[in-house]
Amino acid sequence: MKILLVEDEAALRTALLSSLKQAGYLVEAAADFAQAHEKIKLYQYDCVLLDLTLPDGSGLDLLRALKADGSPAGVLIITARDALDDKIAGLDLGADDYLIKPFHLSELNARLRAIIRRRQFQGQQQITFRDLLVLPELAEVHVRGEHLTLTRKEYDLLLYLLANPGRILTKEAIAEHLCGDAVDAADSFDFIYTHLKNLRKKLQEKGADNYIRTMYGVGYKLSHE
Amino acid sequence: MNLLNATTRYYLLLALLLFVGGSLGLYYGINWALRTEVSEQLADRRRELLAKAEANELLPVDQLAVLLDISRTPRPLGFRDTVLLDRIEHEMVPHRQLTFPLTVRGEGPVWVSLRKSLVEAEDLLGVVLAVMLSVLALLLGGMVALNRWLSSRLWAPFRHTLAALRQYDLQQHRPLALPAPAVAEFAELNQALNGFSQRLVTDYEHLREFTANAAHETQTPLAIMQAQLEQLLQVPALAEDPAAAPLVADLYGATLRLSRLHQALSLLSKIENRQFAEAQPVRLDQLLEEKVAQLEPLFEARELRYGLDVSHGPVVVQMHPGLADSLLQNLLQNAVKHNVRGGELAVSLSKAELKVTNTGPAVEGDPARFFERFRKHNAASESPGLGLSIVQQICGYYGFGVDYSVAKQGTRHTLRVSLSPTAGVPAKRSSARLAAQG
Repeated sequence: MKILLVEDEAALRTALLSSLKQAGYLVEAAADFAQAHEKIKLYQYDCVLLDLTLPDGSGLDLLRALKADGSPAGVLIITARDALDDKIAGLDLGADDYLIKPFHLSELNARLRAIIRRRQFQGQQQITFRDLLVLPELAEVHVRGEHLTLTRKEYDLLLYLLANPGRILTKEAIAEHLCGDAVDAADSFDFIYTHLKNLRKKLQEKGADNYIRTMYGVGYKLSHE
Repeated sequence: MNLLNATTRYYLLLALLLFVGGSLGLYYGINWALRTEVSEQLADRRRELLAKAEANELLPVDQLAVLLDISRTPRPLGFRDTVLLDRIEHEMVPHRQLTFPLTVRGEGPVWVSLRKSLVEAEDLLGVVLAVMLSVLALLLGGMVALNRWLSSRLWAPFRHTLAALRQYDLQQHRPLALPAPAVAEFAELNQALNGFSQRLVTDYEHLREFTANAAHETQTPLAIMQAQLEQLLQVPALAEDPAAAPLVADLYGATLRLSRLHQALSLLSKIENRQFAEAQPVRLDQLLEEKVAQLEPLFEARELRYGLDVSHGPVVVQMHPGLADSLLQNLLQNAVKHNVRGGELAVSLSKAELKVTNTGPAVEGDPARFFERFRKHNAASESPGLGLSIVQQICGYYGFGVDYSVAKQGTRHTLRVSLSPTAGVPAKRSSARLAAQG
């Protein structure tokens, strides 16, 4: 899975780069418009992470160039909060999704997964993790071949965990994922706890391993071990 | 009491005192002058009679008695006041009387009393007093009329200035442009106020620019901090140390709070700077349903019983979609945050208004202050207390009215947003109407 990261802030680029590599992607980075333009003309990517405000040009022009070339790459826009109108313009130009800075890296992973899944029509339309099988098209979950009924929020939560296997998800990131980005996280930790408790119980009733680990004071993690 | 009335009151008081004093003086003066005049006339007559007696030209006493009051017995001499019956008018009339001895040749001394009526003098006094009182009345009326005229003419520039000050809104970013009226004092006042507002606008502009710049420059480091801290949490070494991970998590949480605060402040400053693109039709009922669905887990976590009423059909308002979202988000979040576990939350939307009612502990203090920035009911709360301030700003931006009311001994709080722009000026900032009932 090849990804192009276009971000001009060096420190943020480094953090994103290492996070994406950990998630198992092949990532290339571009620091400005010129570099990014050269790369999208030369290579094919599965997905482009695009910061809209670049020192030497607008990310929207890169998006136009991609679409003009008929590139199959998915585009995830990263935008500053005070550029809401750019975001809308980006979606109109054919971007798949957007993230507002600052964002959780785990949220980025989840969005990226969703874009790639939507774009790979010929690929496998299922997610497997140990004894778990999820069919996103049908919104179905199977544990050891048995169908598992989940509520909407529990299903969202499971998908979010599955998008970030082996990665610690902070409770703040989970809260925002489930309740929208403006939710005051401190208010909402109770409900994450409740939903996770229910999800774990349902998984265990079907005999699944206990792979959702609680990281005390931090959050949760979908463990490979 | 206005300034003119106050000064007029003192003028009138002084005038009244002077008039009373003047009238008394006039009364006694005229009275004295008239009596002196009458006395002089009587003395003249005596002198004339005495002269005639000297020259022996007087008639005999018997004939004289027909014309004069003559007595052969002695009477008290000199001037006296007496009251006599007027035969024509049939009433008692005051008279001045002079009695003196007269020697008529061959008949010995007789006592003569000369009299003159004082009734004309009293009439004169009456006229004088009447004139004085009418002048006083005219002066009084004149003062009031002058007052009215002055306050409508002379004070007009002052009133104009006052109206301009009342309507002044710093957020319009315009200094007061008051004219220079002909009256020097008002011209100076207006000049001072113009200078003052100019300074105010400049300072405000600087502050605004500073806030906008600070907000922009803070954004990137915050994003970096958040991303790096999240990466730091993934470091395997951290998982081995049970004390370290929560420290980083706390740091991460604090960064999130900071960035949320930052977002709220830049939103406020953007609204104040009117940096939102043109409004477009927003289906508020759909958006509300979405928002409630999104926040459902939050309601459930606090065991709230909640109701959503959007049965009044589609509600379309002209707004920026981002601001509509923010408005609903903050209203709902506020209703959850200040609720009690197991409490109630009701949201209803009609074409005229959006109403959010929630249970919650009674709050003390002035309801108008709930809309202030960084206003927290609970000082230990992690939220910065900007939610209602944002609600107010957004409503002000679109001319919606916000109204807070509380009922049931302060445990049921209602926020109403009236959706019809007041006075039809979408960009005009309307002050929130606040009322605390019960």
